Amino acid sequence: MQAVSAGRLASLIFLLGMLVMPATPAWAAAPATEGPYTDKECTGCHTERDPELTRQLRSSRHGPESGLGCTSCHGDRHSAAVIKARQNSTCSGCHEGPASHSYATSKHGVISTLELTEQDWRKPLEGGNYRTPGCSYCHLHDGNHGDTMALEHGPELRHWICAGCHSPRYVREQFANAKRQLEIADLKLEEGSALIATISDGKSDAMSELGRSLQHHRKNVLYGVGHQSPDYQWWLGQPALDSDLIRIREAIGRSIFRKAPGEEQ
Amino acid sequence: MRRRLILLLLPVAALLSVSAGFVYVQWSKGGPGSGLYSRYWSPDPVQGYWDPDNFYRSPDSVSGVFDGKLCVQCHEGITPGIVADWRASRHARGDNPVYCSNCHGSDHQQLHMPTPLVCANCHEKQHDAFLDEARYGFPSHVLAMERAVDAPHFADKPKAEVQSCVQCHSVATKCDSCHTRHRFDAAEARRSEACITCHSGPPHPDDETYFASAHGQLYLAEGKNWDWSKPLIKGNYRAPTCAYCHMDGGRHQVAHKSLWKFGLREINPHTSQNSVLRRRWIDLCSDCHEERQATQWLTELDGERKAAWHKLYQAETMLKKLRSDDLIRPSADERPDYPMGSLWPRERIGFFEGQASAFYNVSAIERDYFEMWYFDSLGAYKSAAHGDAAGVREGHRKMAASLDRIESRAGRLRQLAKTAKENELSPDLSGLWSSGAYTDHNREHN
Repeated sequence: MQAVSAGRLASLIFLLGMLVMPATPAWAAAPATEGPYTDKECTGCHTERDPELTRQLRSSRHGPESGLGCTSCHGDRHSAAVIKARQNSTCSGCHEGPASHSYATSKHGVISTLELTEQDWRKPLEGGNYRTPGCSYCHLHDGNHGDTMALEHGPELRHWICAGCHSPRYVREQFANAKRQLEIADLKLEEGSALIATISDGKSDAMSELGRSLQHHRKNVLYGVGHQSPDYQWWLGQPALDSDLIRIREAIGRSIFRKAPGEEQ
Repeated sequence: MRRRLILLLLPVAALLSVSAGFVYVQWSKGGPGSGLYSRYWSPDPVQGYWDPDNFYRSPDSVSGVFDGKLCVQCHEGITPGIVADWRASRHARGDNPVYCSNCHGSDHQQLHMPTPLVCANCHEKQHDAFLDEARYGFPSHVLAMERAVDAPHFADKPKAEVQSCVQCHSVATKCDSCHTRHRFDAAEARRSEACITCHSGPPHPDDETYFASAHGQLYLAEGKNWDWSKPLIKGNYRAPTCAYCHMDGGRHQVAHKSLWKFGLREINPHTSQNSVLRRRWIDLCSDCHEERQATQWLTELDGERKAAWHKLYQAETMLKKLRSDDLIRPSADERPDYPMGSLWPRERIGFFEGQASAFYNVSAIERDYFEMWYFDSLGAYKSAAHGDAAGVREGHRKMAASLDRIESRAGRLRQLAKTAKENELSPDLSGLWSSGAYTDHNREHN
């Protein structure tokens, strides 16, 4: 009696399996093994599974022309692939210097460092799953493989991501202030560049260096507001731009003086 | 008779001028901003979140009075991150949880941001210690917001720009600078990283200098395995963190032992008051080290500061000499008229003249000295205080380089003035310093 039942059950499962099979793509039949995989193998399977994902990646700055592939962030093994790509250390391997330092010293970055082992990195990059955002939570939110913080996505998406934890008004005010801070930094950049353009030796080594310094400090302000680092907004940002303006003016003053009649060259 | 009249009038005049001064200070605090220059500025909208007591406005988006459980229910969907955080906190545990409404209020149109006073409803002991810090004067956590808004550059610069300042200086006006919301974890605040968002960067590289020290190296290597639920007392930690030394025993203030006052100005390390502070340090270091060793380290720190101030005073003397010879160009009255600069146009040289604001709208040589004083010297001081020998050497190397730069710049200024006089030259530089995209914007928008 029992043997009959088991036989019936087996045929039922077989029949059900036959019904499901044609509707399911090839990858479902063969669960992925551990690897190692090459980039080509990853894309082969995952493009079929989620064409949007591949499209997002291709049109992002991590696309084919960057020389990066899936394994650059995910590694070549299947089981650790998602966790590896979500953790900050993977991003900071390339995005070193101010980009990661401004984040690491922010409150988000500090908490992320302290709770690295307590955080369940298997959870999807969505609101409520992370105590604090890591790089991936904001820039690859919800697994979107384009940069979800990039300007082309528009402000709504950025606001939505932050509003997973912060009140909508707080987010709005923070972004509005960030915009104003960047406008101020741009005015300093404009002031400095215009000053450099007024003098004939504006292309001298010293002046080019000051021009680069302006750009560098303006970028620090961007990192500062983007990653919520007071230090990058301030000492490494705005007052550093003030310093550039002082030094540009001082150099111009000297060159004007040198050209004054009677003064030796 | 006349003498008696004068004697009688003197105290009256003194009393009148003291009250007039008091009235003036009160009046000056009555503007749209806050602090002594409040009549010169209005806050950027975001400042309400950094200084809620003065500037926070309740939202009008939702109306109604809600019980704590209802807040959680709704916000679980709206802001799931903070609800998850609160659920994992001590506030959510036990039979009588501390709900959103306990700290924010329950009328949605009258919500408030919790200030230290709100936290004091339960955490009275910590709050008392925090307030008590004020008696040690600046620099301090509890006075940090006043310090920020009472700086001339806060009134001078566009308010959106100086919002960067209050992000850290809000340590005086909110408790979540160290106990991040909505977990408010004591264990988190005991970790050294909890301090580095503010205690980093050129004027206060506390992070780099501590992490480079033997204490910091031990912490980085082993800290993740220590039990952070333990109080900050002898025997509980293999190496000290920021909080272990500066807030020993969990005391919620950091000025209790502050001897060299952040390295900002020269102090006499041997006054009777400073001997008390020194004793406190020695007692604390003795948790792990021999008393003699601790005494020796503090003496070395005194020596480092003495050497630093020797260099700083050399630069300051050169600058003051240039000022008295009217050789600083542009001079204070040749600069764009920032509100605070135009009150009393004078080059700020040295701590007691408001050196802390001498980083913008100044001549190159003044900015050189600002960097020497605020970046090079403080870098050396933090290194010495945290036990990072390489950092001390680097700081003093930078100070020597700055001193050379200032000296040669001063020489050049003198030479230029001499040549100009001999050849009757006076190139017109007035337009150079007073206009530009930012300078013009600031004139209208500070």
